[in-house]
Amino acid sequence: MNGTTRDRLMLAIAIVMAAIYLFPLYWMYVTTLKSGSEVFATPPSFWPASPQWSTYAFVWESRNMGRYLWNSLVIAFGSVALISVLGVGCAYVLARYRNAWVDVGLFLILMLQVLPASLMITPIFVGFSQLGMLEYPRLAVIIAIAAKSMPFFVVLVRATFMSVPQELEEAALVDGNSRIGAFFSIVLPLARNGILVSALLIFMQAFGEFVYSKSIIQAAELQPASVGLNSFMGPNTNEWNNIMAYATMYVTPILAIFVLLQRRIVSGLTSGALK
Amino acid sequence: MTIQIELRGVNKHYGSFHALKDIDLSIAEGTFVALVGPSGCGKSTLLRSLAGLEKISTGDLKIAGQQMNGVPPRKRDVAMVFQSYALYPHMTVEENLTYSLRIRGVAKAQAKKAAAEVAATTGLSHLLGRYPRELSGGQRQRVAMSRAIIRHPKAFLFDEPLSNLDAALRVHMRKEIRALHDRLHATSVYVTHDQIEAMTMADHVVVMRDGIIEQQGKPLDLYDAPVNKFVAGFIGSPAMNFIPAMVGDDGKTLALDLGTVRGILTVDRTLQPGRKITVGIRPEHIGIAEAGQGSFDVPVAVVESTGFTAFITAATTPELIVVETGRSTVRPGDMVGVRISSDQLHLFDDATGVRV
Repeated sequence: MNGTTRDRLMLAIAIVMAAIYLFPLYWMYVTTLKSGSEVFATPPSFWPASPQWSTYAFVWESRNMGRYLWNSLVIAFGSVALISVLGVGCAYVLARYRNAWVDVGLFLILMLQVLPASLMITPIFVGFSQLGMLEYPRLAVIIAIAAKSMPFFVVLVRATFMSVPQELEEAALVDGNSRIGAFFSIVLPLARNGILVSALLIFMQAFGEFVYSKSIIQAAELQPASVGLNSFMGPNTNEWNNIMAYATMYVTPILAIFVLLQRRIVSGLTSGALK
Repeated sequence: MTIQIELRGVNKHYGSFHALKDIDLSIAEGTFVALVGPSGCGKSTLLRSLAGLEKISTGDLKIAGQQMNGVPPRKRDVAMVFQSYALYPHMTVEENLTYSLRIRGVAKAQAKKAAAEVAATTGLSHLLGRYPRELSGGQRQRVAMSRAIIRHPKAFLFDEPLSNLDAALRVHMRKEIRALHDRLHATSVYVTHDQIEAMTMADHVVVMRDGIIEQQGKPLDLYDAPVNKFVAGFIGSPAMNFIPAMVGDDGKTLALDLGTVRGILTVDRTLQPGRKITVGIRPEHIGIAEAGQGSFDVPVAVVESTGFTAFITAATTPELIVVETGRSTVRPGDMVGVRISSDQLHLFDDATGVRV
């Protein structure tokens, strides 16, 4: 087999795999445009006979999606802000000091990442309830998400900081800056890409967060879109086209961000985001 | 001449590792001092201690008469040129140059003017708007130097600034740095592992090994009278020949042990008979003669000619290397006589390596 044939075969395999992987996404978009009976047609149609665009407007209005998405945004931005402020400093210290305690700290941080949200929620709920935090449910969710996602952020940003040569910081010190000044004027600008990419990943995680929001936020007007989507589900659910329209409006903006920034995200994660 | 940098009994420990051992060093204002030694000898640690990037464990460190032990780098008023240049990648050349001024609160227009002036003297005027990644190695080197010059610091610290350049550029920058030093009448401390850089650039050379200063002095004094075998072998290129020898019964002759070859040399003083000595002879101090005409005869193994000089390696153990100026008529396999004058011998104690 020569090189070209092999390349073509590999490409074909890659396309098939991608098609399998992306099929649910395609199915989601197609289902939104089908009518109620067409959804249950056998054999299923792969393209709607008459696209029902009005489904979107109907779902947006009837489900009050604007409010749900707003809550999702509040929670996602809140989590990103909290994690960024706390995590950047933490990651910097872990990147610049090397001793046994730093290793212990890193290990503990990674341990936190191992525990699933569904396991953590019970103690968190009980704790927040006793502290009276459930009075501010969105803030409570933000804190819970921050605790959950911080390790991921710290580990990624630490790698970014480690790729900033220490000599640059030393040069800034000799040039007359303080440690803090050198951090803000030299290290932070150079680590900016890596931090932004990590923050974006956290944002996407928090935007789709479900377990904490579902458990902590009781009032429907404060719930994020993920919980709102769940409220569709019942024992006799059959309005799949509406559900899919909801899901479409929920995930398409995130998908768009990811597709647009995909190259920067990947390079930010792999190369430490600078040279 | 006032003392600009003074170290008294300086020690540095990293955990159990003793990096600097009782360093005493005085550097007069306006001198160019080279710290030279093999890697791990503590020269960079010493330089970083001067800059304040490392804290010395014990001892006194004074710059311009002021105690600097616990003073942070920014208050020491020294400038440093790093091996990797450490140019700020997200700033243009101009921003790199003016960084230290901006921190000190110098007005923007004034900082720009200072940058333009320095750039003019270092030939960077047309590059002020570029980013470091758009510059060649030599240009980056110049930016790093200019960044130090613009501040008019009390001392310049150089940490192997030429080791990332190719050989031709290195020779050129050597002269440029020295010319710069002379123009600014600055006090410079220059760390290098290359003894040629140290010899050619410095007024005062400090040879270090394992955290101690082995010898310091004027470059040619170190060349002419190394205090021990280490300094003798480190200074000079090609390196000094070392030959094991024993003092004869009369105390005035040395029996050289060159494996198959035995040579006898007379010395102009009396040594303890039977004492074991290491004889050091610089390759350029050995003359080539017809067989039987020199001090003793050796077989020739290799002749390497560069046109101007020829390196002749004798087939002895240890190898004896001779540098002959001009074209050599010697061929591999020849027997030649070597002429060694007794006043150009360096004698070291065999056990301690200390000059006898």
